[in-house]
Amino acid sequence: MNLNRLLLISKSVKLGSRLLTSRTGQTGKDLAAQLQVQRSIKTSSRNLAYAKDLFLGKVNKAEVFPYPEISNEELEEIKQLVSPVEKFFDEHVDSKKIDEEATIPPETMNGLKELGLFGIQVPEEYGGLGLSNTMYARLGEITSLDGSIAVTLAAHQAIGLKGILIAGTEEQKAKYLPKLATGEHVAAFCLTEPGSGSDAASIQTRATLTEDGKHFLINGSKIWISNGGWADIMTVFARTEVVDKDGQKKDKITAFIVERAFGGISSGKPEDKLGIRGSNTCEVTFEDTKVPVENVIGEVGGGFKVAMNILNGGRFTMGSAGAGMIKKLIELTADYAATRKQFNKRLSEFGMIQEKFAVMAQNAFVMESLSYLTAGMMDRPGLPDCSLEAAIVKVFSSEGGWVCVSEALQILGGLGYTKNYPYERYLRDCRILLIFEGTNEILRMFIALTGMQYAGKILTGKIKEMKKGNIGVVFEILGKKLKDNMVKTVDLGLTGKDGVVHPSLTDSAKMFEQNVVHFGSTVEGLLYRYGKSIVDEQLVLKRVADVLINLYAMTAVLSRTSRSIGIGLRNHDHEVLLTNTFCKEAYFKNNYLMAQLQKNSPESNDANIKKIAQEVLEKRAYICSHPLDRTF
Amino acid sequence: MNPVQRLLHTHCLRCLDSVFNTSLQHAVLHRRAVAHPLVAGFSHGQVMRSFHGSPGFTKAQSVRKDIDQYEDERKKKSLVTHDDLFEQAAKDSKTKATFNRVVDVFNKKDIRRRGHVEFIYAALKKMPEFGVERDIAVYNKLLDVFPKEVFVPRNFIQRMFNHYPRQQECGVQLLEQMESYGVLPNVETKVLLVQIFGEKSHPIRKYQRIMYWFPKFKHANPFPIPHNLPQDPVDLAKFSLTRIANDLDAEITVYQFPTTDISETGEEVSLPYVIGIQSPEQQSLLAKHNPSRPVFVEGPFPLWLRKTCVHYYVLRADPIPAEEKLEEQYDPELCGPGQSLFYPIWLDLDLERDLGDDDSFDVDDVTEGAIYAMCMTDQGDQVTLGKWISGLQESNPVLGRIPTLFRLESGTRELQTNTEACEGPESTPEPEPEPELETEVEHREEEHRHSERVQQ
Repeated sequence: MNLNRLLLISKSVKLGSRLLTSRTGQTGKDLAAQLQVQRSIKTSSRNLAYAKDLFLGKVNKAEVFPYPEISNEELEEIKQLVSPVEKFFDEHVDSKKIDEEATIPPETMNGLKELGLFGIQVPEEYGGLGLSNTMYARLGEITSLDGSIAVTLAAHQAIGLKGILIAGTEEQKAKYLPKLATGEHVAAFCLTEPGSGSDAASIQTRATLTEDGKHFLINGSKIWISNGGWADIMTVFARTEVVDKDGQKKDKITAFIVERAFGGISSGKPEDKLGIRGSNTCEVTFEDTKVPVENVIGEVGGGFKVAMNILNGGRFTMGSAGAGMIKKLIELTADYAATRKQFNKRLSEFGMIQEKFAVMAQNAFVMESLSYLTAGMMDRPGLPDCSLEAAIVKVFSSEGGWVCVSEALQILGGLGYTKNYPYERYLRDCRILLIFEGTNEILRMFIALTGMQYAGKILTGKIKEMKKGNIGVVFEILGKKLKDNMVKTVDLGLTGKDGVVHPSLTDSAKMFEQNVVHFGSTVEGLLYRYGKSIVDEQLVLKRVADVLINLYAMTAVLSRTSRSIGIGLRNHDHEVLLTNTFCKEAYFKNNYLMAQLQKNSPESNDANIKKIAQEVLEKRAYICSHPLDRTF
Repeated sequence: MNPVQRLLHTHCLRCLDSVFNTSLQHAVLHRRAVAHPLVAGFSHGQVMRSFHGSPGFTKAQSVRKDIDQYEDERKKKSLVTHDDLFEQAAKDSKTKATFNRVVDVFNKKDIRRRGHVEFIYAALKKMPEFGVERDIAVYNKLLDVFPKEVFVPRNFIQRMFNHYPRQQECGVQLLEQMESYGVLPNVETKVLLVQIFGEKSHPIRKYQRIMYWFPKFKHANPFPIPHNLPQDPVDLAKFSLTRIANDLDAEITVYQFPTTDISETGEEVSLPYVIGIQSPEQQSLLAKHNPSRPVFVEGPFPLWLRKTCVHYYVLRADPIPAEEKLEEQYDPELCGPGQSLFYPIWLDLDLERDLGDDDSFDVDDVTEGAIYAMCMTDQGDQVTLGKWISGLQESNPVLGRIPTLFRLESGTRELQTNTEACEGPESTPEPEPEPELETEVEHREEEHRHSERVQQ
């Protein structure tokens, strides 16, 4: 249905007009005109680079302010969708049973299919719900209440059928999507191989063209395939021989739609996992599986781009999923804390217990803000590259989720540790978030290096001049540093006369601005020091990524709360509180991280850390003598 | 009484000495005197300078007999060196027991321990001969020969000057020998030293220094060799190979166990052991070896383990010439910035690392050929080593296609005799090997290559 697209367009128009109207009050017509010009340029060839620009010390505020919102019609639509799903999860999903029996019962699966949850993002013309990313994120909040179901659904539509959706031809879409959208067919995404875990480039599965040129024969095996046991349609990545421009034969990766009906496909025993036990993960082996050439997704040899886009785009939902889970946990534990008495006091009166609730609320708040900001960005017209932002959402929410679940369990103490309560299951389930769809370590590398590449391209000339000892540039930089040191106030225009942040968040916004400017100069310093060899400085990159994650999270909460205050949402004062708390915490964390990034900084322990690891790994054991050992 | 208690006891006694009058002393010392009948029979006035026998004294009959014997001999020969005493004892057997008996004999012979310094020096010299140079109990027993409390300075003047210098020197000498053999003194040593020389004597100082440094150096060697090497040559070879390879992944394979057979003609045929080591990394290197270039079996190379010398052989190749070097490159299109599935492994930037952050040292690397495997055998001829190579072929099929050259030095024999030379100081190293041997080896090498080709 085209209504959705219409909505999108109308929304973008509305965004523009909202920008105009919201400014006119404070800023006057000049600026409004200027903004309009800016936006029109952006929309013509949109190159979204909010997170990347932070590496240059710039805040591309037009991208993130105001906080994206959906139209009233969409809101109505999503509300209508959410309530039955919520009801279904409350009444018909027995997570405990799913976990114990390590399978999702067929009636539950059928219920999910009837609700249309297998085709959330499939356009309505193919029988799906045709929801935007934002609305998909909203549904993710509920489906995440059961980890196994969430992973099954995500493997099906966030990665499994996404290839057909984003790069498939009309024929492919028409052939496969309707059945996938109804859940009649389940999809899986087959990329990982025994020899290539996170290093997906070393794929060994091979697809060879048959002599008649009409089919490919796929041979190889894929491991850890979610839904691998029951998937009917698989997106499979395999190496194919491609003749490139120079006439040389080269191996390139191609994506295929493979039906189980093609034959030659066998699935291994489902893995017995720590968490998400109801989801099906197994090995899938292809043996001379005959795939027609029409089933190539995109073009032959173009599978890599397809895989990249699928993976990079699918991560943002984890934020809302995590938030949904934590919100549920807060409800569960708050009940307990308010009733349980110790030393004649309620648990909720103890400071340390209170702190746990604050942590949970804050994490849920930041995750929500992050994921809906990112989803909103992705929903804007054009083909925005939000891979960096999506990765940030994934890293932040998986780690925040882990901390929060653990804290929730801690509130209950020993009870939380038993199987009588769902906390241990949540703990096991959410552990996978740190691992799949790119481990957090790898995503941190991705975040930092992508930004470094972007900033490096722009700063190369300047740094080279500096290295050459160009007096002018050196003086300019020295002068800037001196100025920065002398004048502590940084103004990136978030607050003040034409500011986008609400005045009650001025302090937080100032902190954010200071961090951003400091980050920009830190990145410049790192590029000056390490150049392209920074790829080998993983500990440095980890900090860079951490700072960026914090900065993006600060942006998200500032933007969200400014909107909430502006339109007077319920309990927006609580949001202000959360925002200020989070920003202050993140500000000091960032300062510390950036202090560690300075040259010869006393805060940095990197050399020692490396040495400890080397000494331990050399002996492959803990090498200290036992404290009870004696020499005489 | 255990040594520590004794030390405390002595301390107490001394305190009491300085504070109380003699009556108490008498009582206490009387008791002690009674406890040791051997040292009974001195006047009360000399109590402080009395000899104290150690409770370690044995009163075996044999001792008495030895003493008698010794006395007899002494009567015959008035000037008897203490070396003689040991040499006499050594006639039967050189063991710890005989050594101890000699010490006992000396202790029993004369209540005043006349000539104990000379005796201790002589004993120290003889210790390695009796194989007790690493035995702390024997050192303590030797220390026990010193009379107790006689050499303890009793006033500040004595303390200031070198009180009984010869005895102190002797004590230090004993400790020094312990030090050089790596024997760590124990509490009993300390107790004895305190009893003999007092708290602030030179031997005690020496003791303290040893106790300060020894533990510190105990684990200074990251690759310690055990004192007692494995006796079985196979075990020894395994130990040595793991020691050279120093790779936790490396795998030891016994290609041939040492066996002795009687052939049909009645001759004794003994098969040498062949033990090799190879790591997976070496295997993969070997698999990548260019089959048109030969690999070499070289050796023997010596490896010293304390006083033992073993020999090993290596399978190696010449360094790969620069033009043949193949750098394994990732497909730049798959791993570059903005292209990778996960993260880029290289950045498309024109910026090098700043000099100030370049912590690498400028090292001149000499490229050497890879060593693909190592082995040890007690018979370093080509036939035996050929068995090793054919054994290696099972796990490294590529070896079947690579010409293998044997570049064996004929020095094996010479080095083997050297092993003996280091153990027995009398034997002399054999003369240089004759040049004919080399040609012979080369000749055989040719033969082997020929046979290799035939196999292919």
